Amino acid sequence: MSATKIDDRIVRVDAMEKARGEALYVSDIKFPGMIYGTLVRSSIARGKIISINVPDLPEGYSFITADDIPEEGRNELWMIAKDWRCFASGDVKYVGETIGILCGPDRNMLSYLKERIKVEYEEEVPAVTIDDALSLKGGPIAGEDNIMCSLYCEKGEKMDDVFRKADSIFEETLETGFQEHVHLETNSAIVRLEDGRFTFYISAQCPFYVRKSVAGLLGLRPEDIVVKQTTTGGAFGGKEHFPDVLAGPLLVACNKIRKPIKLVFEREEDMLYSVKRHPSKVLFKTALDKEGNILGIDGKIYYNCGAYLSASYVVLQRGVFHANGVYDIPSTHLVGYGVATNTFPSDAFRGFGAPQTLFAIEMHLSHIARKFGFDPAEYKSRYFLKKGSETVTNGHIVEDVKLPEMFRQIADASDYERKSKEYEIGSGKGIGISFYNHGGAFTGNGEQAIIKAHARLVKTGDRVRIEVGSTEMGQGFQTALRKIAANALEIDISRVDYPNPDTSRVPDSGPTAASRSTMVVGKIVEDCALEMKARWDEGDFSVEKEYVHPDGHPWDQDTFRGDAYLGYGWGACIVEVEVDKLTNEVTTKGIWSSHDVGKAIDELIVHGQVNGGVIQSLGYASMEKMENRNGHFRQSSMSDYVVPTSMDFPKQEWFLVDNPYQWGPQGAKGMGELVFNGADAAYTDAVERALGATICKIPIPPEDIEEAIDNAR
Amino acid sequence: MRDKVVFHVNGKRVEFEGNPMTRLIDILRDDLGLTGVKEGCGEGECGACSIIKDGKLVTSCIIPVGAADGSEILTIEGIKDTPKGICITEAFRDGGAVQCGFCIPGMVMAAYALLEENHHPTEEDIRMAISGNICRCTGYDLIVSSVQLAAERGGELWQ
Amino acid sequence: MAVRNYIPETLEEALTLRMNEHAVPLAGGSDIMVQHRKGMGIAPDLDKPVMIISNLQELKGISRRDDGYIEIRALETPASIAASELVPWHVRQAASRMGAIALRNVATIGGNIGNASPKGDLPQPLILLDAEVVLVSLTSERRMLLDQFILGSKKTALADDEIIKSVLIPEKEFTHLFYRKIGTRRANAISKLSLSAAAVVRDGIIEDFRASSGAAGPKVIRSREAESLLTKRQISEIPEIADDFIAAWDRAISPHAMPVYRRNTTSRMLLHFLEALQDEERSGIIE
Repeated sequence: MSATKIDDRIVRVDAMEKARGEALYVSDIKFPGMIYGTLVRSSIARGKIISINVPDLPEGYSFITADDIPEEGRNELWMIAKDWRCFASGDVKYVGETIGILCGPDRNMLSYLKERIKVEYEEEVPAVTIDDALSLKGGPIAGEDNIMCSLYCEKGEKMDDVFRKADSIFEETLETGFQEHVHLETNSAIVRLEDGRFTFYISAQCPFYVRKSVAGLLGLRPEDIVVKQTTTGGAFGGKEHFPDVLAGPLLVACNKIRKPIKLVFEREEDMLYSVKRHPSKVLFKTALDKEGNILGIDGKIYYNCGAYLSASYVVLQRGVFHANGVYDIPSTHLVGYGVATNTFPSDAFRGFGAPQTLFAIEMHLSHIARKFGFDPAEYKSRYFLKKGSETVTNGHIVEDVKLPEMFRQIADASDYERKSKEYEIGSGKGIGISFYNHGGAFTGNGEQAIIKAHARLVKTGDRVRIEVGSTEMGQGFQTALRKIAANALEIDISRVDYPNPDTSRVPDSGPTAASRSTMVVGKIVEDCALEMKARWDEGDFSVEKEYVHPDGHPWDQDTFRGDAYLGYGWGACIVEVEVDKLTNEVTTKGIWSSHDVGKAIDELIVHGQVNGGVIQSLGYASMEKMENRNGHFRQSSMSDYVVPTSMDFPKQEWFLVDNPYQWGPQGAKGMGELVFNGADAAYTDAVERALGATICKIPIPPEDIEEAIDNAR
Repeated sequence: MRDKVVFHVNGKRVEFEGNPMTRLIDILRDDLGLTGVKEGCGEGECGACSIIKDGKLVTSCIIPVGAADGSEILTIEGIKDTPKGICITEAFRDGGAVQCGFCIPGMVMAAYALLEENHHPTEEDIRMAISGNICRCTGYDLIVSSVQLAAERGGELWQ
Repeated sequence: MAVRNYIPETLEEALTLRMNEHAVPLAGGSDIMVQHRKGMGIAPDLDKPVMIISNLQELKGISRRDDGYIEIRALETPASIAASELVPWHVRQAASRMGAIALRNVATIGGNIGNASPKGDLPQPLILLDAEVVLVSLTSERRMLLDQFILGSKKTALADDEIIKSVLIPEKEFTHLFYRKIGTRRANAISKLSLSAAAVVRDGIIEDFRASSGAAGPKVIRSREAESLLTKRQISEIPEIADDFIAAWDRAISPHAMPVYRRNTTSRMLLHFLEALQDEERSGIIE
């Protein structure tokens, strides 16, 4: 065995057991005496609960509600805020809000009994859309104005002065819809008592979030609860906070029933009753001079948060901070509003608020470019951020920006300039482009001030075990992190272990979210490994370290000023399409992308992430339509909420640029979310050009293209 | 009238006397412990529970066990240690086809069904053959190239 | 939960069950198992007996009959139909685009017809071709046009002692053929809209013209009124007839969702087909 080096081509450590069907997901695990749980939920969007009528339950069956929370506990899930109730009590705020959990040994009987639990409501008028909420339809849900959270940031001159100087003003509203994660493994968890402690086996991104969130239900401390992450079949943000919503009722039930209880969502439940990406509405008002140069942008950003705040304020912040995309706009004023509605709470989804505003700014600049007769790529490139450029939060870009080089790569590969000229607007053929970025890790100094991530390496004989709270959910982190450690230790990767985290055994490394794991946790592990390497001959020992934030990059979390992110991932994408003039069906002819992820820890893993993120983004733009009528989602299955198949998009061409990040392990920075952030806008740009229409809203399936064509006439 | 269902799963005889409307997937996973058969949607839309029944790819979540009477069924457990199964799973590993893994056993079955019929599939053939197997992680490119790799490496195995 | 379900071994056993208990026939399961799904680990339950007829050999086979019909027995799957050279082009096209591969291996033509979903893939081309269904009971056998058999969304003329035995498609040669399914995506898709069209043009005369729309109303739509505007006319007359024809077709369809899209797209596809009829260079399959 030789020492594994970063540039070695290796295979994923988890590939074989997954391919052979041997990896155990929650639904595959059984314990002796285990019973099943199923959630009983609100069937209306807003109203008072008049009564809950439960039939006589056979022996061994229980129905657990808020009334079963012990006196020392509180009916709240502690996510970022504590507003999300474990069980609805007194009233309901959205369709699918948990009212109780029905538990028992036979799933047939549970299904029979569940149909016979009747909840009577006094219905109220729900507010479902951003506009409903702003007009206070049905009365306020949160505060007096339904604004759950808001923030602003400004740069350059005052907007009044900017608009006074403008030759023209370009104003438009851009919108994005709900998006469902559709991780192939639905949400699922098992709770049981192990050595007197409540222990979860759970499909989750953040085991430490789960224990923090639910402990208070029983008046316990987080460390009284053990969370063991099981093999997780995809997450994409959908298992960041949402597993708490399963874990809470399970914990209260287990406290009463004292038996192992398993809760596995049906696909329909996961579709209808789980968190989604925030729908957005972005109003841009842009001041332009005679030649079409941008003097300033005034932006108002609205995100539909649903009924509880959950992580929405943080999502909104990221949305605002990415609202000028990769561009250095001289003056800008951006306000974000998180709006409360009676829909299922919106929450984390790959990109975490950035994709919505990035879509908006990309389309907006493309529209301005077209109005003034410029090629969007040429126009946009005038405004590219550079090292030292001031950001919308008055901080600075601290790294080299390689967008011009990345544009060249994909423009050459796709023959962009020729096609952009040759394909006439409205000809049925179109090529589109987008540029985007994603700030790595938590905003500002959050990593140091809030997260305080720890990681530990344990040496036993000639093997080294990584102990972190970070999780593998498909993104390849178990392989990447082992590779980082092996490379620093100069040993073969097969000598490094990294089991799924168990909160009773590993330190808290912070959530597996925000594209922070490789960049932040990877760096701590690398530092631990370097120390371990130096002390290798000391026998068996462990090394534990805490994250250290680089000096000289101030951030004020109260005013949102300073260096929001130290390292961004950067991306550029070109999509070519043909639109069938008979049916509006869009055929994607080519996809080219280039990404700057600092340094790829494992190129094959990055390749897979790029492919997957780009296709998810193309699904978001083209077909993934999730509608909500009166608080009810209309798409409830994988046949009516469709995600891309292997036939929908062609093989991708992809490129990377090397741009080592000075504070990342081997120069790596965040990547998982970046690759989602831009293909949607490139696709939409291409479709617009093919049709000669203006599109301000995604998704844009063929029936909505009809509308765009009509509008263009 | 049949009062019991008899079929073979991975070469082993299975007898079932209960409700013939019982979903085949539940027999495979719960009674036989074949948890490599994954349930992703329960309505034949995602392909995670794909198995091979009498030589044909089917989704076991929409088949009542009564319809399996007299059939020969292969699950991932039945092929993983055969030369063909090893060829595909190793190609998936080496080709970077696996991410979260939940769709992968079904995807392996779809690849198996394809290669049994078509020893030299084109990219288009492969895309068509796995089009009923939804993967949310990979964007499919590396799955497609891994199936191609299995076809090439397998060579005579598939003849 | 107390209802008993059956596995008949012969058609006669099945027909007896149908007569005595009105047991619901389950052919492939791809509709019933989904519509009555109750969850993981739970058997679907219809509140009435189900008979699983998947293995009845009497209901399998595709053949050419002496009387000018192609017979497709009820348990034939979209996969086998798509692969059979006996089956007319439009039907093979629809069969090959139905759902996912695994679904095409279990769904059946009998089930697809019996379910009578407006979005069903096979009825649309079958109705275009004037296909008939053969219905059997213990005491009788009858034939009727599929267009008359399907009464509306999820409604058919099947009596509660009958089973769909087979589908008969009259053999007919067309000079021009068109089929499009617009699905929710490029594969593994439910139909948003589908259209078949066929014509026989000889010496500049339209001898036969027909079209059928799927997913554009509660059942498959054929408008004899619209078709009659074109039959026996010269292709040179098409430009002056086209508007009336499109208007007549538009009156016939009644899409409840995405109405503008479904109407406009249907009109564009029909006009496209009519254009091809006028072009003497073009015949066969119109892309």
